[in-house]
Amino acid sequence: MTRLQRAGLAPEEGPHAVAAIGSGGLRLVALDEQARALGLAVGELLGRVRARIGVPLRVHPAEPEAERDALHRLCRWAMRYAPIVAPFGPAEGCHGLAIDIAGASHLHGGEAALLDDLAGRLARSRIPARIALADTMGAAFALARSGRTSPALVPPGEHGAHLAPLPVEALRLDPEVAAGLRRLGLRRIADVEALPRSGLARRFGLAPLLRLDQAYGRRAEPLAPLDEARSFSAARGFLDPIGRQSDVIAAARALMEEIAPRLERAGLGACALRLSLHRVDGAVRTLEIGLSRPERSPERIAGLIALRLERLGAGLDAGFGFETADLAVTSAEPMAEKQASLGGSGAGERVANLADTIAQRIGRRLQRLAPRESHVPERAEGIVSWVAPPLPYPAILPARPLVLFARSEAAQDVFATAPDGPPHRFRWRAREYRVARAEGPERIAPEWWREQAEPRDYYRIECEAGRRLWLYRDGPHGQERPAAWFVHGMFP
Amino acid sequence: MAQAPTSPPKPASPTDRLARLRAELSAETSRAVAVMPLGHPVIDAHLPSGGLSLGPPHEIVPAEPIDAIAALAFALALCARRLAEAQGEAMIASSGHPLPYGHGLASLGLNPGRLLLLEAGGDGEVFRALEAALHANCLSALIGLVGEGMPLKAGRRLQLAAETGEPPLLLVLRQAGPGLPNGAATRWRVAAAPAGSDRFGGLHAPRWRVRLERCRNGRGGSWLVEWDSAANRLHLPERLADDAAAAGRARP
Repeated sequence: MTRLQRAGLAPEEGPHAVAAIGSGGLRLVALDEQARALGLAVGELLGRVRARIGVPLRVHPAEPEAERDALHRLCRWAMRYAPIVAPFGPAEGCHGLAIDIAGASHLHGGEAALLDDLAGRLARSRIPARIALADTMGAAFALARSGRTSPALVPPGEHGAHLAPLPVEALRLDPEVAAGLRRLGLRRIADVEALPRSGLARRFGLAPLLRLDQAYGRRAEPLAPLDEARSFSAARGFLDPIGRQSDVIAAARALMEEIAPRLERAGLGACALRLSLHRVDGAVRTLEIGLSRPERSPERIAGLIALRLERLGAGLDAGFGFETADLAVTSAEPMAEKQASLGGSGAGERVANLADTIAQRIGRRLQRLAPRESHVPERAEGIVSWVAPPLPYPAILPARPLVLFARSEAAQDVFATAPDGPPHRFRWRAREYRVARAEGPERIAPEWWREQAEPRDYYRIECEAGRRLWLYRDGPHGQERPAAWFVHGMFP
Repeated sequence: MAQAPTSPPKPASPTDRLARLRAELSAETSRAVAVMPLGHPVIDAHLPSGGLSLGPPHEIVPAEPIDAIAALAFALALCARRLAEAQGEAMIASSGHPLPYGHGLASLGLNPGRLLLLEAGGDGEVFRALEAALHANCLSALIGLVGEGMPLKAGRRLQLAAETGEPPLLLVLRQAGPGLPNGAATRWRVAAAPAGSDRFGGLHAPRWRVRLERCRNGRGGSWLVEWDSAANRLHLPERLADDAAAAGRARP
């Protein structure tokens, strides 16, 4: 619902709801305030709801992918607090996220200040949220979903007392299990906790025990963070938001100077980097920088970011400025201590720098030609990245054209003096060509394991005006099947 | 210039001053300009500095649209000549032109392994890539395949960038129009010319009719040239019987 409102997709007045196909037809999965005020609840059948309420209900189809993307965007935003942020999985209902702030809260002035900051920022962005901070992920989830207050801050070691009065549904159980517990009169978590464990396991399986243990911290629950924990990253907040290009570049250089020694200690170089700029209004601008070879020089990285910003120009859209910059190495590869001493080719490194410059400045990659294992002309060559070592070309005795057309072009009105000989004159690209000299034929058979085709007879032809073409006759020809001629390339 | 120590106390005769200025200017140009001779004594003698000056761009234009291959081949032949002398790689930045076929480059004496390709999205990208390559000064030849001629601004930027390095910079144009004046040092118009057969009946080395349309500090000219891929040089074709007319038209 919030996603729709933020995207401006639900501008009209009136109750809105999101519906998805469930058991028995379309069921409501999300509601806005007005719909809730009318007494609607998540999970009701859309048809019944429509019949019950008097006002028209505006229904939007559920888009799980867009919702997931929106949640991931929120997760990326939340990485400003701590690097490990996990979106909720199916067990938690997919509507929320967990932040592991262990060791990170002091950066924001303590846990209470962090919670205040988080709640304030979410409220300003009009994202309704319930927030809880506890020793375990299970306890925090239960308090956030079913607790009385939000934000709720549970001091260390006291989560047991806070958990006890909460309903059993807060334990992230299957609806059937939760309903079964309720039928037995076990409404609160404290009731379940007081039961003998073996009886509970016999009756409901291991799931309630697992969830109980996770909530009370008797069993570790590792988060599945959105990104793998980024060991090579640095972030910096600014008292005054920055907006100028030179400031962004200086910040990126400072961040890279922070990361570079860590990379060097690990013997790695960055192959791809992501610079995330957090705008004052909550939007995040990310720049992805790809490198052709591992690199950790701050000057070089800053130079590439400068080129990228130059290309973006006004596309960066600093708005009221960026308040946090975050540089992360997204891909790293082993790198020697001193690149320049390797192989003794300073020129090779300069070409790599040039390739990176071009990639950032115009967004294109340097490439090179590479021979392929095939005798069919159009398959005998490919284009690979320039980083690949150049392969030697096989010496083909009959000359090949300087330019090979991607598709051979038909030659019309071909007149050949001998039935198996080269053409005498023909028409191609709306011009008449008279053949002065011809060399050939060279028969090239198709690759039968790949395709059904006829062998081709290639001729190297010079016209009277001096243009040299590569023509071929496709397949056998005779009385009933006139020869078909094609131009496949041009010689210098 | 007024405070130059060589200036005499009292004004000399105009002829003397002119001669001295000429000498100074020629000394300056010969110092500044590095050249790549084409290996064709007649053309090299015709060009003001004895070859293609390294630094400013040189334009190569097909005489007709179908001669685009001849223009590309002429540029690649000059590139092969450069690569035979210099270390390193050459870059071809292309926007919309067909790329060369590696198996056919051997006929020009060019090793495809020493070519880097860049498929650009437009002429502007080609010029920016060439500028970056000139600044990087790590390649030994640069070829840009563009549609229209070089705009004056791009020419100026390339000229400024070229002052740091000196790979030969060749621009192959697709359009055969007259073109506007820009920073290019020379403009060559290339057409395919009939090549002779060798004595076994096979096709001979490629021949082109090249016309020097525009030349800074020099005169134009027109020649029939043949590319010798083994020696990596242009030379005047032998005057074969069937090509006497064509050869005779070439200015000595």
